[in-house]
Amino acid sequence: MSASDVISSERLDALLRGDAPRSGAEERRAALLDGLRAAQLRAPEALRARVFAPAAAPASTPRASRLRLPSRRLALVVVPVAAALAVGAALVHGLVGSGGGSPRAVPAASPVQSHSLETLPARAAAPTSGAFKAVGVPSVANPSRLQHTAASLQVRVADTDALSAATKAATRVATSLGGYAQSVVYRTPQSGGGTADLELRIPAANVRTALTRLAALGTLVSQRVSVQDLQHAFAVESAQIAQLRRSIAALEQAIRNPSLPDAQRVLLQIRLAEQKRALAQRLHARKGTVAAGTTARVSLVLSTSKHAAAAPPHRGRIGRMVRSALGFLALEATVALYVLIVLGPFLLLGALAWGLNRVRRRREERRLLAA
Amino acid sequence: MKGVNAVSTSLDPPRAAARPSFDEVAAEQLDAVYRYLVYLTGDRAAAEDLAAETFEKAFRMWRRFDARRGAPRTWLCRIARTVAIDWFRAEARRKRREETYARDLGESVEAAFGEGLSGPLEAALRELSPAEREVVALRVLLELDGPSAAKVLGISQTACSTRLSRALRRLEEMIGDVRE
Repeated sequence: MSASDVISSERLDALLRGDAPRSGAEERRAALLDGLRAAQLRAPEALRARVFAPAAAPASTPRASRLRLPSRRLALVVVPVAAALAVGAALVHGLVGSGGGSPRAVPAASPVQSHSLETLPARAAAPTSGAFKAVGVPSVANPSRLQHTAASLQVRVADTDALSAATKAATRVATSLGGYAQSVVYRTPQSGGGTADLELRIPAANVRTALTRLAALGTLVSQRVSVQDLQHAFAVESAQIAQLRRSIAALEQAIRNPSLPDAQRVLLQIRLAEQKRALAQRLHARKGTVAAGTTARVSLVLSTSKHAAAAPPHRGRIGRMVRSALGFLALEATVALYVLIVLGPFLLLGALAWGLNRVRRRREERRLLAA
Repeated sequence: MKGVNAVSTSLDPPRAAARPSFDEVAAEQLDAVYRYLVYLTGDRAAAEDLAAETFEKAFRMWRRFDARRGAPRTWLCRIARTVAIDWFRAEARRKRREETYARDLGESVEAAFGEGLSGPLEAALRELSPAEREVVALRVLLELDGPSAAKVLGISQTACSTRLSRALRRLEEMIGDVRE
């Protein structure tokens, strides 16, 4: 076959479409095509019957109830749905996590019942200053129960002179209300400004008054009050003490019996000593519980304007919700990334195996059809 | 120029709104699919079984058929090809098993590729490989365009054109040899 006999693919397409041949080679090719098309080859009736038998039985839309989506379409559905679920879960988490109001009651683990109450600065922020005035102490404490109150305040003062005066005033407030300053750390670095950290002990009955007065020493930046119920612990300790006392009385009576053998007497005396030691420990513990219940711990941080800790930005419920939702989304992303890192090698191996299998099958196909 | 086997249905992908029923498609495409399988396998009995299997499979998958992505004929030919490849695979295994016992069995000499075909052309077609015969069937008999045929074969359009040219050239050569 000479080079002039070669028919380009464009001309072959044209011949297939029925164009007239332009050369001898094309004439031969067109004749071949006509020869191929001349053959009568229709599906036999038996095949026709086989094909239309199943198609005629059910409705012309087979398996209408079974939804089968192609993988690409499935991905187009699954990916947005998964993303929507992730965002939805984050929003729900944000809504639940944002809570109804600013102060949050955080129940502590049983058996000690406690309440943590945090007053965010923004709740009472003065429109002009950006900080907030004293809002008073929420009356979460129950005077009929033994409760430990802990409070922390951050108060900003104008300068170091005011800082010194406020530190002295805070100490005076504590002593005037029957309490005392457990520790005072006063710092005025050369770079300017200064802070004073005071650990105050205030009788529980006067803690509201103390907090109000301490907050008035300057501009209240933040305030946190927590109340922990000690009534249960006190009741348990009292019951243990009563039990130990009864046990000691019984042991003493038994030891006084003259007919008691010496060996048994010694044993009872050892046991009596143990019970007395346990009683002393319980009494000491109850004393501590009572002290904690009757004395509040107040941590006061006084600072000049330069050193005042920046008040957290104002966040309303929506702000908290968004923050919570974003946090949850970040957590979801972290989990997804972790899963991807763990599953990544397996996915890669799977894809490699799939690719190799595909290549192998194509080679096999070529070999089968080339025979 | 259309042969007697040319099917007059349009090969352009129909609009999604005008989705035909399976019965209509089967009635229109049965002959074409059968011819394709006869050319691919070179065995009418096998082609009949494979065509029935193809339409059974197509019937099950009919909901997945998307008219926007290709004509029904192209879709059916792809299914037919998958079914036929499985058959080739099974045949290869069967032949390997039976090689020891039926080494000298001759092949059937009946006219496999259709009545009205000249003897030399029938013989030449038998000499082609299944891959060459199927491209001839798709492009010449079923009148699929280049892209559709390439899609069925799973190869590029250029490779499809090359394969067709080579197959036709071989046919011409073999017919010429017989005539000489």
